[in-house]
Parts: sequence; structure tokens; C-alpha cells
Amino acid sequence: MLPNHPSEMLTTRFVLPMLAAIGLLAASNSFAANAKLETIISPAQAATADRPTIKSTADHSKFKLLDRDFKTGPEVTKACLTCHTEAAKQVQHTKHWTWESTDPKTGKVRGKKNIINNYCTSPVSNENDCMACHAGYGWKDEKFDFKAEQNVDCLICHDQTGTYRKLPGFAGHPVYKRVEFPHGSGKFVEAVDLKKVAQSIGMPTRSNCGSCHFFGAGGNGAKHGDLDSSLKHPGKYLDVHMDEKGLDFSCTTCHVTSHHEVSGSRYDAAAAVKGPAHIRGKKDETPASCQSCHSNKPHHEAMLNQHTEKLACQTCHIPEYARNQIGTESSWDWSLATTMGLDGKPMAYKDSAGRRSFDSKKGKWEWDSYVIPEYRWYNGYSDYKVIGDKIDPSQTVHINEVGGSANDPDSRIWPVKVHRGKQPYDKVNNYLTVQHTAGEDHTALWHNYDWQKAIAAGMKAAKLPYSGEFGFVDTAMTWPITHMVAPKHDAVDCAQCHSKNGRLQGIEGVYMPSRDSNRWIDMIGWTLVVLSLFGVLMHGALRLYSSKMKGQHK
Amino acid sequence: MLKVVSGIFVGAVVAALLIYNLAAGIMFREVPSQFGMEETIARIQHNVLKAGNGWALSGLRNAAKPIEMSGGNVLPVMMIEACSTNYSAPILKDDSLRFLSNLMPCKISVYKKHDGKVYIGLMNAQLIGGLFGSKVGDIMSQVAADQAKFIQFDASQPAPAMIKNAPAASGGSGGAADGGC
Amino acid sequence: MSSVNRVYLYNRYERFWHWSQALLVISMLITGFEVHGSFTLFGFEQAVNLHTLSAWSLLTLWAFTIFWQFTTGEWKQYIPTLKKVDAMVRYYVFGIFNHAPNPFQKTAEKKHNPLQRLAYLALLSMISPIIWGSGLLYLFYSSWASLGLDSYLSLGVVAVIHTAGAFMMLAFFIAHVYLTTTGHTPTAHIKTMITGWEETD
Repeated sequence: MLPNHPSEMLTTRFVLPMLAAIGLLAASNSFAANAKLETIISPAQAATADRPTIKSTADHSKFKLLDRDFKTGPEVTKACLTCHTEAAKQVQHTKHWTWESTDPKTGKVRGKKNIINNYCTSPVSNENDCMACHAGYGWKDEKFDFKAEQNVDCLICHDQTGTYRKLPGFAGHPVYKRVEFPHGSGKFVEAVDLKKVAQSIGMPTRSNCGSCHFFGAGGNGAKHGDLDSSLKHPGKYLDVHMDEKGLDFSCTTCHVTSHHEVSGSRYDAAAAVKGPAHIRGKKDETPASCQSCHSNKPHHEAMLNQHTEKLACQTCHIPEYARNQIGTESSWDWSLATTMGLDGKPMAYKDSAGRRSFDSKKGKWEWDSYVIPEYRWYNGYSDYKVIGDKIDPSQTVHINEVGGSANDPDSRIWPVKVHRGKQPYDKVNNYLTVQHTAGEDHTALWHNYDWQKAIAAGMKAAKLPYSGEFGFVDTAMTWPITHMVAPKHDAVDCAQCHSKNGRLQGIEGVYMPSRDSNRWIDMIGWTLVVLSLFGVLMHGALRLYSSKMKGQHK
Repeated sequence: MLKVVSGIFVGAVVAALLIYNLAAGIMFREVPSQFGMEETIARIQHNVLKAGNGWALSGLRNAAKPIEMSGGNVLPVMMIEACSTNYSAPILKDDSLRFLSNLMPCKISVYKKHDGKVYIGLMNAQLIGGLFGSKVGDIMSQVAADQAKFIQFDASQPAPAMIKNAPAASGGSGGAADGGC
Repeated sequence: MSSVNRVYLYNRYERFWHWSQALLVISMLITGFEVHGSFTLFGFEQAVNLHTLSAWSLLTLWAFTIFWQFTTGEWKQYIPTLKKVDAMVRYYVFGIFNHAPNPFQKTAEKKHNPLQRLAYLALLSMISPIIWGSGLLYLFYSSWASLGLDSYLSLGVVAVIHTAGAFMMLAFFIAHVYLTTTGHTPTAHIKTMITGWEETD
């Protein structure tokens, strides 16, 4: 790898030889006193100190404006906006702020605010908790002011201290006062030092994005499977690009961001990027794709390159997801929530690996690690069920159905995580229900263990009629897998798909050697072969017999 | 006469080839597990602790970890190490048998395959033990009987916790696991 | 046996061609049916590689052989004829069991009996085009779009045709190998193909 940044250049050209020299010196004189060593190191340090170590042109710790004791997040935001005049307006146009996304085909409004997933189901009526992952302050109910610029949370993405934490229960505010968390656990979270955080500002790192995206559905790795806290310090085996000792990509290396709009959303994905690698200066529609760097013909062998016409890169290069002990949830059964222990009290227990397995508040979960994905045709389009969409409770409700087919030139076979579950629905109106789960009030499910009250309160907040009758329906959600790319020698080998019961056995519309064959041709062919064999064997046996007979007659 | 000799010779060769081919299959067993990795491991570990006869856990090894450390991927494979002084002591006391220590401790591996299922791999203790005379044979057949209990799961019981750091065996770097080795 | 006639039937190139072709055809049958999913031997990836390698080797061998056939005039050996075909058929169906003499005697000028000529004609005009036509299309699947073929072809159809050709080839192979044992001794023809010398009574 060539160093492409001045500071890296400095490291390789100057510091490394220096360190090597020190190493040699230390080795040659093993009795070298510490003091002596220090005198050797300090000139090197002085030399590096001559050049600024931060990449940014602004050192936020030198700004007078930030040198004060902030009381709240919005106060910090106001300070930020003094210089970054357009930042809040930009953020307010993104999904990170609106939690909305419009379907380009149908105009349907989706996004976290509007869909019901099969994890925690919906933030509606639970904003106080869920908005811990909103890039803003104070969204605790529908009255939240989406125009107020000081409500934008700059710090969750730009903090570099790693101390800025937003906890459920504060509507997106960080911890201003030392608090016991989780409630009753005896563990405490310290109040955040907003001054220190404000002065640390930098570009988002894996930890910044991960503070929400690693912990979706309320647990490390629970939601995505290809995103969890192991990506803070990943090794090469886990992610060849993010490898901390190697390429060390951050999320934004691929999810290239402009005017705070982060590229590469799952809602409208680019599933089949074609053509050569992108060059600088080109208007880049899909920077967050493998092909934008690797092109769609990245292999030396033509045979492998032709696979890119049917397969996503991810299909071979992410052999398993959740490749760590953290794992990911494969199912969440809400129908067992409110089930109490033998003593009539709420209970919770963990699975063998120490992951949540049952909780009277939330139901039952199943987890898995090193998961072999399922595979689907996918063209980047997903049709989501939003609050109020009708369902057919007689079969599994697909909360999002990934589009695409073998005949669609924009479709590729993608690896997906399918998260299965059971969740409440309105038996009369036939739609999934919104339930008020989090909170300390008497209607909150996790407080009073009463489904009726929780659903009634949730539906009221969602402004949907509730019949008063609820049941539980099987649901499934499909998540295209794209992170945790393995090193190339760990790609899925041919025979894992090119075989009778291989990974792609359920994929239709393509002929795959070894997996597929024409039954008739095989039957006729083998009959021909067997008859030929039988024919020559009979002929040979007759020859043998006749020559024996002849021998006897003689 | 030549025919007889060559017949015996051919027969011997065929038998040797057959044995060579089948030996691996006889010496080791592979059993699919109905549970996930961690739960399979945890259930085996607790079965070992319940088995009596001096059985104790002496370690849990993650064979995939070093491969990950060097940047490669391999599906999970964990080795549960168990030991019983009841069985190890008589063997280790006998100078002519001490070399068998390299088969200790008793290992049970739990691993995932590309079909997404979890399998348990075991050594056929009885058969291997039988190769080393009646004393070892007797001991190993008892080991085999206990081993069979290790992989009998009661699915009606809730999943126990996996024991990540098995109690250090008394023969190792301290610790006072009862009956450790 | 002293009155044995020895005829030099197959020269060195012919023998080299025959045996390397035999090796390549066998290897393609084995690897081909593995790719087809009939069994596992080398593993899919290795089977594909070997199959492709053998295909190119055989094409190269044929390029030289076709050149050889025309420069030596040996191509005439393959001109089909119906003369004495009935006698050959009668020999294989009846005569061979009664130790009747083979109605055809191999000579350096006429190495193939009339039935053989017909069989090779079928091989060259039917089985070969089926296998090689579909095989090359299969091999160049990635170029279908640039060749403008993708709207007419589907891999499934090409694969089915290729497989059908492979079955015919396998049947031919079985018959061919069996017929090598029908010389005056079971191994006579094979010896000839190795040494080049045909022994006749």
C-alpha cells in the first residue's frame, strides 16, 4: 500500500526507520537505562510535533466558543451552527433526522417512523426510549419540532472521545446527570462532559456509526447480523476492508457522504452495479458499492467475472455473517411476552452463550453466530409494510419483500438475513398493531404486562382504529447482507452452490451446472449407457460361450 | 499352488486396503446435534460435570480462533476437554503406558459445517483402547460408556450456560477443581 | 505361427493421436459428468478446470491431426461406404460366434471396416458437432451478450444438448472399447494400436 496522506507518509518515511533504529539500539544494548532511551525518543517526538497530527484544518479544542460548560446538547448544537451555518438544515433533510423515506416507485412513505418491523416493532408511542438513536434531541412524541435547528444532534456522529452516550428514556438527550442504567441494575452511567466532547469533534468513525447501527433492536448485533461491535476493532478475517491493522476503512470510506446525506441506504439500494470502477470527478451515483472501486469484472478469470451477471459480490465474499461470538437474532417471538415465572413474577434468562433468550417483557429470542445466509433475487427495491397496511394473517407476513427475479437485468442473487418472528396484529382490521411498550406509565407493556392496554395506547398514538381483539401472526423480514466482507481466499467455493443441496438450492430461474439437470435427458442418457453396456456384455458372454463350446466339440 | 499363494496375497491386500479405508470411520464418530454451537457445548459440559466417575472439565479450546487471528475464516470449531483421574491415574502410573498421555485429556469437538448444522466429533475410545492390551481396553470401555452419556441431551431441560473458562485442573496451573487432572 | 503376416498399420503420430485423444476423452467424460453432478471426485472447481483444459488440449490435438490427415491423405480412411456393410453386420451378429472369418482384412490402405467408417461418420457428423457446438457456447457463456446471442440461447438448453452429446459419446466409448476385443485374440487390436503392427493369420 502506498501512503496517500501526508501524515501517513511521515509515519512510513521518518518515524518507522527511527523506531527501527531505536529497536536495534535497544537490542544491542539490553542494559540501556530508561532515561537513555527517552533521550533517543524525544527528538523523534519533537520532529513529529512540528507537523500537525490532526487531519482537519480546524482544531476544535482551540475554539473559544467551545471552551465553556455546556448544560445540554442543544446548547452545543447552537455553538456548532455559529460556524457550520448549513449543517442543521442539511441533517434535517436526511433519514437520520426524519426517519422517513419515500418509495420512488409508489410514493409510499416508509422509514423507521412508518414501518412496523419484527424486532421492537415501532417507535411510535415509545419515542422516549427509541429516540436514543435519533440524531436529535427531544423527540418524545408527535409534537416534536422537526424544524428547530438546535434539536439536531451533532455529537452522536462527531464525538471523538467515545464518552457521549444516549440512553433509552431520555428522548435522544445524552446523560446529563449520573444515572443508574439499566434501572435497578446497580450499574451507573456517568454524566457526559459536553465541553470535552464538543472540543473533540472529528469525522465519524466506526464507533460513531456503530453507537446506533451495531445495537439495533436493543442488543449488540441483534438486528443486522453483519453489523455489531466487533467492527469497532475488526481483524482481517472479519472485514478485509475495515481490518484495523490493514486498510482500516471507516464506514464513511464507502458510505461517502455529501451535505450530510449518507450514501448507500437499504431502502433504495443499488443491487446490480455495472461497468468499470469509478474514477475521481465522475458523478457517483453509487459510491457505497463494491463495484465503485472493484468494477463488475474484478477477477482474473473470465469464468468468475461472468458470475457477476447473476450474483452480487456479497454472495461469494460474505460466506457467513455474524462471524463472531456476538451473533445475531434469528427470531423474536412476542407471543410469549407477559409470560411470568412460576412465582408469578417477571423473569428473564439467557442462552448458553449469555445472550438474551427470554424476558417476560419482550418474549423469546433465538440467536446464531457464523450464520450461513439465505439467498434471494434482489434488485435493490424493497416493498415495506407500513403502519396500517393490510395483512393476511393466514400466512407469514413479509414485512419487506425484496424485489427482483432471474429475468430482471437489474437483479442479482444476494445473501440475506431473514429475521422471523411472531408479533401482535388486530384480528378484525387485519393489520399489525403498534404497541406502547416502553415507559413507566400504566399502559406500557414493560411496566404492566397488559397487551390490551399496550396495544390500545400504541394504536391511539398511531391514530389507527383498534378493534380490541388481537392475535399473533408469523412475520419475516429480509435484510440484504453487505458488511463483514471476508478476505478473498475465504470466498465461498464453487461446490457450495454447484451441488445438489448447496447454498443456492432455492434460487430459481438460472441453470447451475451440478445443481440442475434435465430429468428426461438424464433418464434417456443413462438408459442408453446401460443398454450399451448390457449389449456388449451379452455379446462378449456369447462369444465366450461359443468359443468354449467349440473347444469341447474339438 | 501359485494360485493359492497369489489368492492369499490378493486377499490380504484387499483386506488391508479395506481396513485402511474404514479405519478412520471406525476410530472416530460424528453425530449431528439438534442445538446450536454454544448450547451443544454447554449441554455437553454439564453432562460431563454430572457424569460422576471423577469427570471434570479441563478446558474449552477454540480451534478457529488462531485461524481468525492470522486473518482467515473457518466455521466454528470448539474442543471440550474433559478428564477423569479415575481413568487417567492407572494409565499414567504404568511406565509402559505413560505414552498414552498424548491422548489426554479426553476431547469432544463441536463444530459447524457448511450445511449450517452443528456436529459433535468423538474418538471411539473403546476401539482405540482395545489396541493397547486388556488394562487400557477395560479403562477405555468405561470411558466410552461415560462418553456416550456426555452426548445424551435432555431437550426438555433449559439451555445451561456455557462454561467458558473451565476450572483449571489441579495438574495444571493451580486451581482446585474436584477430581481435576 | 511362423507364417504370421505383420502389417505396419498405424504410424507413430497416429498412435500418439489415438492414445492422447483417448486419455482426453476419458478425462472429459469423467470431469464432465462430475460437473453435471453425477458424482464427486475432483471437486466441482477442479473438475471444471480439468474439463476446460482437456477441451482446449483436444482442440489443439485435432488442429494438428486434421492437418496430418490432409497432408498424408489419411482422411480417405474415413470416406463412408455401404459396400460389404451387410457382411460386417452379419459377422458381428452371427459369424463371430461361429468363428467365421472376419469379412474385412485390415490393410494399410483400408484400416477401417465399412461399419467402422459409418460409426466414425456418425461420430464426426453428429456427436462431435453436438458436443463441440454446445461445449464452446457453454465455455463462452460470458460473451453471449457481446456476440448478440443472449436473446436466443439459455444456458439450460445448451447444457441439456451438451449432456445429451456426452451420453452419446459415453455409449460410443463403451462400444468402441468392446469392439477392440474382437480381433483374432481379445488384445490383438489393442496391441496393434500400441505397437502399430497388425498381426494377421
